[in-house]
Amino acid sequence: MIELYHIWKQYQKPDWALKDVTLKVNQGDFCFVTGPSGSGKSTLLKIIFREIFPTHGQIVVDGRNILRISDHKIFRLRRTMGIVFQDFRLLFHKRVFDNVAVVLQVLGYPRKELRRRVFNALRMVNLNHKMWEYPSHLSYGEQQRVAIARAVVNNPNIILADEPTGNLDTELAFEIMSLFSEINRKGATVIICTHDRELIRHFGKKIVFLYKGKLLREENI
Amino acid sequence: MITQKFKHFQRETLNNLWQYRARNVFSVTIICLSFLIVGIFVSLSNNLRYTAQQLSQDMAVVFFLKNNISPIDREAITQELDNSSLVQNIQFVDSEEAMEKFLVKFPDLQGIVENLKINPFPSSYEITLREKDLTYEDAQPFIDKMKKMKGIEDVQFNRDWVEKMNSLSRLARAIGFFLGGILILASFFIVSNVIKLNVIARKDEIEILRFVGGTNVFIRIPFLTEGIILGALGGLLSLLLLFIVIKLFPVYLGSSLGILKELINFRYLTFSQSFALILSGAIIGLFGSLSSIAKFLKS
Repeated sequence: MIELYHIWKQYQKPDWALKDVTLKVNQGDFCFVTGPSGSGKSTLLKIIFREIFPTHGQIVVDGRNILRISDHKIFRLRRTMGIVFQDFRLLFHKRVFDNVAVVLQVLGYPRKELRRRVFNALRMVNLNHKMWEYPSHLSYGEQQRVAIARAVVNNPNIILADEPTGNLDTELAFEIMSLFSEINRKGATVIICTHDRELIRHFGKKIVFLYKGKLLREENI
Repeated sequence: MITQKFKHFQRETLNNLWQYRARNVFSVTIICLSFLIVGIFVSLSNNLRYTAQQLSQDMAVVFFLKNNISPIDREAITQELDNSSLVQNIQFVDSEEAMEKFLVKFPDLQGIVENLKINPFPSSYEITLREKDLTYEDAQPFIDKMKKMKGIEDVQFNRDWVEKMNSLSRLARAIGFFLGGILILASFFIVSNVIKLNVIARKDEIEILRFVGGTNVFIRIPFLTEGIILGALGGLLSLLLLFIVIKLFPVYLGSSLGILKELINFRYLTFSQSFALILSGAIIGLFGSLSSIAKFLKS
């Protein structure tokens, strides 16, 4: 499903953010990428959804080398992925409903179908009763759940989450992680970057350890 | 799907226009004033051209004949005039008739004319030219040819007045386009920067749209329509302001200008000129926003 071959990434000389990372994540995997700050976790995710290019190496997603996709066609790859950021990246001038609906608007969904899907996604994260509120009126945990609803609303094959529980307390973090686990059970491949060992111990199925840009080891539980 | 996207663009454009209304009003005002300058000069030019046309309708070429002209030469001149495609009307005025006309116009000078004992007025052919928009250069070869004919003493051709009017009209238009061009260029940069500010203000939204699979076209369209609306609105408002200026200007000046009043009595733009003005505004808006969003999406 997602195959990375000898990925090297350098932002500026002489430091390498990633060093010769080779990794395979299968369809339906629930994968944690972990390691201390600066180990290259976020860089790895950015490369997978092609926000940035690796300096060397190749990446194959669903059998396609994504580095060969031209810039104006990259939207097709992104439509198969749901991305959750540590800082949520919500639109604070738009209501919760519109924040989630934006994904379906891009795809040109009819209004009725769009409303149904947005409602279902918000119900899944237990926020359907707050869909007409603005994100600024929600707690951190609720905001992150809105971000998750946005990531799953179009049923993507792959969910990428960069430190999705970084700003949350333990209880909320478990709640959020349970949501990801549920999404994974429905068939999506989930890759989560986190350094929270407690969460990894509790939810981890496949764990990838990064240290200073190098892949130290992989564990399948 | 297309209808849904169209509705989305419509909603987004209106939201953007409303959300950043202060800077949008500023940008519309600048476009409006720039186009008003162009409009005023085009209107002035229209007026000068109209006056030139009015003058040209009354213009005649007068061929004065020599006193001792032979009947053969006169016949040759008549034939030449008859055969010319430029001539619409020919009127022969003999010397007696010329003197009578003079005395009707200037009765006070009757004594002087009578004291001369001879008739000083030559016979002439007064002709009107066929084409109203005929230029001086068009008629010149014909006049030169007639001048060389035997029996012609002199030629009076007042069409150069019309030409001067036309030149003035062209000058007014050129000044209008020059000044307007500079201002329109300035308004292009202003629209471009206003849209750029709107783009920067919505940077996060654009980034999210890109992450969720929005195409560049999908991201661009609301900004482009915003630019088009701002530009076209500026053009439209400039037409409205021009109308007010044209209505108020004569009232303000009163009768103090005398004969000049007619020359700067603005006439409103033609339909095609008005349409061109609005279209230009829309095009400026389009390219202004296109340049700013293109730079942003590239970065």
